[in-house]
Amino acid sequence: MRFTYLLPLLPLCWAASKDALNTLVDLAAASNGLINLDGNTFDLLTSPKRNWSVSIQFTAMDQRRRCAPCKEFNPSWVEVAKAWTKAPKEHRDQHFFATLDFDNSQATFQKLGLQSAPVVFVYPAAEGPRQLPSGRTTPSKYDFSHGFEAGPLAEHLSNHTPIPIPYKPPFDYAGWTLTAVGGLAFLLTLRFISPILQSRWTWAAGSIVTMLVMVSGFMFTRIRGSPFTGGDGSWIAAGYQNQYGQEVQVIAMIYGILAATIVILIVQTPKQASPNRQRMQIYAFTAANLLVYSILVTIFRVKNRGYPFKLLF
Amino acid sequence: MSMAYPLPSGLSPATVTNTASLIRIVTLALISGAAIASRLFAVINFESIIHEFDPWFNFRATKVLASQGFYEFWNWFDPTAWYPLGRVVGGTIYPGLMATSGVIYNILHALNLPVDIRNICVLLAPGFSALTAWATYMFTKELKDESAGLLAAAFIGIAPGYISRSVAGSYDNEAIAIFLLMFTFYCWIKALKQGSAFFGMLAGVFYFYMVAAWGGYAFITNMIPLHALILILMGRFTSRLYVGYSSWYAIGTLASMQVPFVGFQPVKTSEHMAALGVFGLLQIIAFSQLVRSHLSSKQFQNLLFVAVIGTGILGSLAIVGLTYKGWIAPWTGRFYSLWDTGYAKKYIPIIASVSEHQPTAWPSFFMDLQLLMFLFPAGVFLCFKQLRDEHVFVIIYAVVGSYFAGVMVRLMLTLTPVVCVSAAVALSTLLDTYIDPVEPLVPEEAAPSASGDDSTTTSASGSKKAKKPVFGLSESTTTQSTPKLRTRPGIFGLDARLVVIFNAFGMLSFFVFHCTWVTSNAYSSPSVVLASANPDGSQHIIDDFREAYYWLRQNTPETSVVMSWWDYGYQIAGMADRPTLVDNNTWNNTHIATVGKAMSSTEEVAYPILRKHDVDYVLVIFGGLIGYSGDDINKFLWMVRIAQGVWPDEIQEPNYFTPHGEYRVDDQASTTMKNSLMYKMSYYRFAELFGGGQAMDRVRNQVMPKHGPTLDYLDEAFTSENWIVRIFQVKKEDLLGRDLKSANAFSQGKKRKRSKPTVRRRAIV
Repeated sequence: MRFTYLLPLLPLCWAASKDALNTLVDLAAASNGLINLDGNTFDLLTSPKRNWSVSIQFTAMDQRRRCAPCKEFNPSWVEVAKAWTKAPKEHRDQHFFATLDFDNSQATFQKLGLQSAPVVFVYPAAEGPRQLPSGRTTPSKYDFSHGFEAGPLAEHLSNHTPIPIPYKPPFDYAGWTLTAVGGLAFLLTLRFISPILQSRWTWAAGSIVTMLVMVSGFMFTRIRGSPFTGGDGSWIAAGYQNQYGQEVQVIAMIYGILAATIVILIVQTPKQASPNRQRMQIYAFTAANLLVYSILVTIFRVKNRGYPFKLLF
Repeated sequence: MSMAYPLPSGLSPATVTNTASLIRIVTLALISGAAIASRLFAVINFESIIHEFDPWFNFRATKVLASQGFYEFWNWFDPTAWYPLGRVVGGTIYPGLMATSGVIYNILHALNLPVDIRNICVLLAPGFSALTAWATYMFTKELKDESAGLLAAAFIGIAPGYISRSVAGSYDNEAIAIFLLMFTFYCWIKALKQGSAFFGMLAGVFYFYMVAAWGGYAFITNMIPLHALILILMGRFTSRLYVGYSSWYAIGTLASMQVPFVGFQPVKTSEHMAALGVFGLLQIIAFSQLVRSHLSSKQFQNLLFVAVIGTGILGSLAIVGLTYKGWIAPWTGRFYSLWDTGYAKKYIPIIASVSEHQPTAWPSFFMDLQLLMFLFPAGVFLCFKQLRDEHVFVIIYAVVGSYFAGVMVRLMLTLTPVVCVSAAVALSTLLDTYIDPVEPLVPEEAAPSASGDDSTTTSASGSKKAKKPVFGLSESTTTQSTPKLRTRPGIFGLDARLVVIFNAFGMLSFFVFHCTWVTSNAYSSPSVVLASANPDGSQHIIDDFREAYYWLRQNTPETSVVMSWWDYGYQIAGMADRPTLVDNNTWNNTHIATVGKAMSSTEEVAYPILRKHDVDYVLVIFGGLIGYSGDDINKFLWMVRIAQGVWPDEIQEPNYFTPHGEYRVDDQASTTMKNSLMYKMSYYRFAELFGGGQAMDRVRNQVMPKHGPTLDYLDEAFTSENWIVRIFQVKKEDLLGRDLKSANAFSQGKKRKRSKPTVRRRAIV
């Protein structure tokens, strides 16, 4: 029964889908390739009869929502969407970029069960030649583990667009200018700074600081993106294989102080002419060495709970 | 000259030298003994067994070498690995380790000592650690003196950073590589100091041995050119450098090309280009110096200068051009990921997934090197103070090594030698300064107060000491016209010496306790056999791995193919002797991704994959029952990621998380997760074990649902005592041609459910 009613409507559906496509193309063209959605246009864009694919950013840009990652990610999204407008027209109209703000359609967020933002969904084409071979029509989610940058985003989304997104990273004028100016300044002042550059102690300071920072886990914090301190204000991360940014500083400093006491005992104290003053120095620096070492061991005991040894405390 | 304490007098210099060298030899022997002994915890606590994963392959290859001879080993094609592809073993390994054990084995048998090859393999690493201690002694001796050398040998002998890779049973390339590394460096320093082609040649030969033994040889390939380049930039080009470098490079490179796995890489890949470039640069500079020494015209010299610079630039442009054209391969991923640290995670998850390739947090540094960690910068400082050619080497090594160790945990191993050397230089200088009994000459004004002070404050320490400064004063006033100038820095008094020496001694003892504790607790587990403590404190051995592997060995046909995640490939091949799909030699990413896909898809999708690869058994590691955290569910995301890299349409990582982005396995787990083969195999019948009580996964601390997953396409074949290893048999196709799911449903008496009632035909009104 029902089918009979629907049958005459079918051509209308096709027409509607054609219309929808045109509407969408217009919408996209009007706003730099990025459609700003509300509930209705969202349904239109993701209609089950779509023969286009679409990638949608769900975000919450309003001040009240306090979504810092949204603000961080949005420029990349706009950038990639803009890059897509440079694609040839026949391909461009088969994939759309859109943004749905939480405040424009809270219902959609609820419907999709989204609890957080930003989220990027890529809806494959549900009909037509660009339908996936697996027949999947449900959206796939972009994995933010690559970060918020536009480059990886464009690269990943290119798997879903008819042709790869013609995204080129913007030319870094500031960076290049800075490098050029810095290089020029270096060359110009080379005559004045060359004594500094030729001094072995400049290099010594550079090397030793580099070493200290490296052995204090700097690369760990860089690669893992550890925060400077914990959320609760603590500066020591719990766990043996984890650390915060501040630990790098503290540990490098401790190593530095300990090394300095040794170096002073070796180099400086023997030069001291007064026996009394020398004795004072020796006692002081040895005590400092023992004390700071004890502190280091104590901090290590915090990191490694099972460590059985301790020094002074 | 005043002395803080008396030295025995009347000894002939010959006696002193002889005694000193005897003591040195005895000390070195004792250090070697300590180095070997501290690596035997694993044998004593467990048994003489090969550890971990890669060593099992090395052991298997060594057995082939020992039983069938070198040529068989060289041409060995292993059809059971990477089923059905197979693996050409001879051309894809570094044979140095196996060859070493093979030689030792043959020598011992020639001497009629019938030692089992397994024991040679188990004890090879401790044996070579003694040699490493000796090589480090020789190296440090070139930097400072014998006493620093002995300290460095003792440090490297017991430093956990090196022990972690060389305990008994850890039969891996690193076991011999660190000795080769240190000895090559020693030969290089020696060649550089003496301008000796002999030592250059020796460095080349040991470099060849290193290339044959460990992929980390690229570290030497780049360290020596870097050192040479920096010496040139410092204006320290000498003919000694030229002779040493050229002989090392020519012999070392030609020899290294004989290793099949390396082949023509030394002239074709970017890792080796630095060595080639510096070699060319040295030739240009040497040539220009030669020409200059024969010419006098100023203009001609200028012309020559321009020509030389031009050639250098042209040469480097040629290298860049060749790289661009693809004649020279760019940096391989493993090396490239050292510079661009985000690279691996993005493009080669298989490298990023290895736990050894994670960045190092500071506690690991302290755990592995403890006291040496802060003596290290002090030693580098002292190197800067002297800054001879060999000190420059140590400085470069220190900076480069600490960067690499920070990026990858496993490179802690290459940092450890330089830390030991540098720390030994610092500590030995400290001890030299404070043990030296000679007191400084006291300037005039300071003398009265000093001597008065000495007699009052340290009267208890003896009258002899108090008198000395006075005596020294009288001497200096009589002999020197300007006593205000200090002729020699030094330390006054005995107590000041004792304080520092006592402190140093205390730190060293603490270091020994620390190393012993770390070695016995953290680094001596074979990881094939696990240990836990009973309530009464006694040791309980968990031997699930071997139990399961022997089950496979005893109960399955020899040809049955076992699929598991690649971590366990070598162990299955070594202990169960069954063909595997993938193993720790991760050369074929697609094949690994296939296994990842099978594990992370539903049964229906996985079954054709399993059948197409002739898989008979699937092996999973499950730690949920006893809390073994290194299990497959925890590694599961890497399988998903690697599979996603090849099939981005079918496998998507976010689907394995809950909507909140959590990784869960309880009833809130995502549907994709619950339907994945890995999840089903891990938790199959897990809830039944608790007899209606709460089924608790003790690794992830989550309560499992009452009704666990069901399996249609696989059968549980074996589960080990503590459930760590579970083996499932892949069912054959149903004899009646049904799919196995409906066949199962039928045999359980369930009525076949129609998926959707077909549209009833009705007349259209």
